[in-house]
Amino acid sequence: MANSLHIENVVAGYGAARVLDGVSISVSAGETVGLLGTNGNGKSTLIKCIMGMVQPTAGTIRVEDDGRSVDLVGQTPEQVVESGIVLVPEGRRLFPDLTVGENMMLGAYRRTARADVERNRALCFDAFPVLKERQNQLAGSMSGGEQQMLAIARALMSSPKILIVDEPSVGLAPILVGRMMTKIKELKDQYGLTVLMAEQNFHQASRIVDRAYVIVGGRIAFEGKSAEELRNNELVKQYYLGGEA
Amino acid sequence: MLGGFYASVALGLTLVFGLLNIVNIAHPAFVVLGSFLVYAANAQWGVDPIAMGVILTPLFFLLGMATYSVYHASFEKRDNESLRGLAFFFGLMFIIEVGLILQYGVDYRLVNAPYIGKVINLGSVTLPLRMLVPFCVALVMALGIFLFLSRTYLGRAIRAVAQDQLALQLVAADPVRIKRIAFGIAIATACVAGALLIVINPVEPAAGRVYIGRIFAIVVLGGMGSVRGTVAAAIVLGIVESVTSTIYSPSWAPAVAFGFLLFALAVRPAGLLRR
Repeated sequence: MANSLHIENVVAGYGAARVLDGVSISVSAGETVGLLGTNGNGKSTLIKCIMGMVQPTAGTIRVEDDGRSVDLVGQTPEQVVESGIVLVPEGRRLFPDLTVGENMMLGAYRRTARADVERNRALCFDAFPVLKERQNQLAGSMSGGEQQMLAIARALMSSPKILIVDEPSVGLAPILVGRMMTKIKELKDQYGLTVLMAEQNFHQASRIVDRAYVIVGGRIAFEGKSAEELRNNELVKQYYLGGEA
Repeated sequence: MLGGFYASVALGLTLVFGLLNIVNIAHPAFVVLGSFLVYAANAQWGVDPIAMGVILTPLFFLLGMATYSVYHASFEKRDNESLRGLAFFFGLMFIIEVGLILQYGVDYRLVNAPYIGKVINLGSVTLPLRMLVPFCVALVMALGIFLFLSRTYLGRAIRAVAQDQLALQLVAADPVRIKRIAFGIAIATACVAGALLIVINPVEPAAGRVYIGRIFAIVVLGGMGSVRGTVAAAIVLGIVESVTSTIYSPSWAPAVAFGFLLFALAVRPAGLLRR
């Protein structure tokens, strides 16, 4: 499966406020790409544009799927997900009054995922044994870390070609953030996923990404080809590592 | 026994009010509409009322989907749902009632079927079949809806739709479509309930009004959106009403039923059976 995501010169905003000002990024098949930036710089808006939750005013968003190029601009979130791009949303957005098992089964609502539901379920329980134990518990009654696991599991149930993870560290204890990152990397390596991860926790994110974009004020300020290059960049130091402002 | 019928009416409202948060007060009117169509078929061709109720379900399903589409386009999409939506369903209720009065007049109508009028004796208890048959049909329908909601992709999506519409979109389900189907199913159950109603009692066009309060009470008592809870609450309420009307007088039955609702909500605010 050769799937890649190409975003070119995307401009978007809410009313008069322009949040994204010509953003171009790409994610190739099998890569883990980070989208780093502090709050209010446009990470979430870019992800909303990809998912069809916000429509960009200019620019293109395409997904290459086995040689076919699909334009995502103008599609609804349902259609974007149906084409294989699955989001683990910020704040998890689980169905709190349904059980863990039911939340996972809803992940398999996507037509192409229904055929693989048993295989995907085994895969998720394998990755997150706690979800198997708590299958019949209501999702809303679980801890933040468990809910984040469930959110990832629900996304994996959709058989994603490209997995987008928005701020997996929000609301988690620091020790859990590290574990969550390790888990995402494990899953990616094990199943050959293509991952785009938006994150403000630079240290943790840089551990698992192959490369990353740093987004500042709605523009890509820096593109790091490797985790090493990211850490040594002046801009990153200035923003994240306590350098002079 | 009466509880079975209550359950059949409350089921549809559990779907719409309990799971979709739409206050469809016209639901009993749809039930009565079902009764009259069943009556018409029975009077004209002698079709079995319950079979006719089942035959009519696809028609009511489409009617429900159409009703939801109108409701969605005119109210829900513009965030006007609560009060004006209520007015919409109130108006719908009147339209159905007046339509039935114009067509059939205000008289009570009844149907004929082989099991109406027969009884079976179980020791000292006599069970009229016109109560027993609807009871069984209602339970089968409730079981069907329960399995549908818990075992199918569509059913699970219906239970999720009021909790987080965006999250539902992110698993590739269109919330408006899901709600439209759920509403269609709810109105389809109203049709079967209508058939049961006219088997139990003669029906007149405004008969639905008597049940509005009771049916909403059952849905709340059942825990808003739980099929098992709805059936349990309906049966309990049916028993409470029957006992009251036997021991005191029938006119006390609604009062005692509502007293029971208040009491139950005070003790178990989340409903008899929690989801």
